[in-house]
Amino acid sequence: MITKTAWKNVWRSKVRSLVVISSVAVGIFAGVFSVAVMEGAMAQRLDDALNDELSHIQIANKNFRANNDLACFMENTDEMKQKIMTLDEVRSVSDRIIVVGMANSATKSSGVQINGINPDEEKHVLELDRKLKPGTGNYLDKSGRSNMAYIGEDLAKELNIIRYSVTKEVIDSLRVRDVPQKVINKLEPSLEVRFKNEKAFNRELKKVISKEEETKYGYIIKEESQTYRENSRMLLTFIDKDNYQTGAVFRIAGLFDIPNKMFESSQVFVLKDDLQRLTGLSDGEEHIITIRLKDVSSTRVVTDKLKEMFPEMEVLNWREIQPDLAMMEELAGIMYGMFMGIILAALAFGIVNTMLMVVLERTKELGMLAAIGMNRKKIFRMIMSESVFLSLVGGVFGMIFSKIVITLTAKHGINFSGYKEGFEAMGYSAHIYPHIGNDFFVIVTFLIIITGILSAIYPALKALKLDPADALRTE
Amino acid sequence: MKVLELKNVHKIYSSTHVEVHAVNGVDLEFESGEFAAIVGPSGSGKTTLLNMIGGLDKPSQGQILIDGTDLSTLKPSKVIDFRMRHIGFIFQSYNLIPVLTASENIEFIMNLQKWPKEKRNNRTMELLKSVGLADRIKSRPAELSGGQQQRIAVARALASKPKFILADEPTANLDSKSTQSLLEIMEKLNRDENITFIFSTHDARVMQKARRVITLEDGKVVSDERRA
Repeated sequence: MITKTAWKNVWRSKVRSLVVISSVAVGIFAGVFSVAVMEGAMAQRLDDALNDELSHIQIANKNFRANNDLACFMENTDEMKQKIMTLDEVRSVSDRIIVVGMANSATKSSGVQINGINPDEEKHVLELDRKLKPGTGNYLDKSGRSNMAYIGEDLAKELNIIRYSVTKEVIDSLRVRDVPQKVINKLEPSLEVRFKNEKAFNRELKKVISKEEETKYGYIIKEESQTYRENSRMLLTFIDKDNYQTGAVFRIAGLFDIPNKMFESSQVFVLKDDLQRLTGLSDGEEHIITIRLKDVSSTRVVTDKLKEMFPEMEVLNWREIQPDLAMMEELAGIMYGMFMGIILAALAFGIVNTMLMVVLERTKELGMLAAIGMNRKKIFRMIMSESVFLSLVGGVFGMIFSKIVITLTAKHGINFSGYKEGFEAMGYSAHIYPHIGNDFFVIVTFLIIITGILSAIYPALKALKLDPADALRTE
Repeated sequence: MKVLELKNVHKIYSSTHVEVHAVNGVDLEFESGEFAAIVGPSGSGKTTLLNMIGGLDKPSQGQILIDGTDLSTLKPSKVIDFRMRHIGFIFQSYNLIPVLTASENIEFIMNLQKWPKEKRNNRTMELLKSVGLADRIKSRPAELSGGQQQRIAVARALASKPKFILADEPTANLDSKSTQSLLEIMEKLNRDENITFIFSTHDARVMQKARRVITLEDGKVVSDERRA
């Protein structure tokens, strides 16, 4: 009866209750959706890191990572790979040679890590082959020419291999991509002008279009204006096994484009045979074995198994190789909880205010209830139930609405292309697919109930302090 | 059978400069089945006396015994429980819970006492019939007239078969027809259920119906007239 009465009391003042419920709903929606966007971004970052950069587990000579020394290689890696594949949890494995060197173009140079890979093996461990930027060539091919390199788009920009030019074809592409005609008209004076790098092109762009137009359409204009000559060349230089400076000219087979710009600008992939020949390393002498598992959740278990299998080697999983990723994953839950807690705390003030008004308006009625025998516990429970109902109804609507919006936006993602450079500088994709687990809704429901209870305490205590005889005398 | 005894009851309100004797040495006894009115001018102590009898206020001095139990010896939580089970209240206004229907208002007390559903339903229908509102089960207070609301209040006050009912100016906001109707119902219930009714009133019509009229002046009983 108390609960039923409390529910009916909530709807006494429909407008007031709807205002409170709406504010809770909007607050919950904002919180849950924001968390879904953050979670989506982080999940994507993690996915990208595992799929493009790290895979799940790596094995190396114990001294390799500390010294980055070409001489710190593992031997008989073919045998090691065969042993690793006997584990049920392992999906695929590949190995590579790694050497640190310089990438040089005619005008610029940049420090890089050169990875000598077997592309047929590597495809099954990482997904960089699928990140080929259209129109820039191909992934590495063992049966193709020698001295081919697969590099990141950002490295190509740094080496001034990518140029910029607004041509008639570019104008047509911009129209197809819905860039407004007034913006296109402003680019006309720069038609057929070649800019040797992104910096020069940006300078010119800032002169002709406004800041707002640059934020909205800048990335599209740059993307379409990029020109890249296939099979461009660069010189890779490094120290070989015998400590001599060596190098060779490599043709660029293709460019990969991933969100992590730091990785893009620092990694070069070449055929293992080519790098072996140049460094003087032999077959079976590799620096890293990369392992992809069938299920990422078995990472810790397999890491332990591999440590037992190869006690003389350094076996690290992705959490150990990039602890910042692991920390991001572990702290995410706490962060989301705190975020929702702050939103609910703010909403609680509104609920407290409403419940105080309720107690004030119903002073005489509360006096009557106490007079006819409703004890303090039941009065407290009634006020508390009203508060919980207000929060819960608002919370449920907020969660339903956020679930709908998350489901809709998760399909096509949210495009933050206007801020692409900023996102990618931190390693995040600018196209985010919001995502949230159902367990988060359970946690939010629990937090909403706690908010309702805590918000009711002060008003309920005020109700209990009422003297029935005085309350009955109230006008 | 004595249901209520007041022995030298005083109520003194003290403020910084002055003491007010709202009730000044009242001795009264009530038998079961009495239909009594406490009358007097404003400020004579009627409401204060009723509040003390109902356990809403504590006497500064003296004893109030209900069926032999001294309310002042009970803990506050026990007083509330005692009130719920043994005392019925009818107020001048705001008697009913606005969000509940007529039957739900009557059931409210029985729910607080955890009566089984069937027993509650039976008692509710019985009371609704006795106050002549069996056809208004689902009506909310806002859909009832003042007189009808007071009749529901009477039914609720009787729900748990209390030892007596305290009615503080129950007819103050009613027209003459509604007052007459309400009084007739209360009289009938007083006779049929043998429940004591104690009114605090200015209303001459109530005084006329009462079989005992206690007059208060300055917190003292100045007359206690019993009628046949």
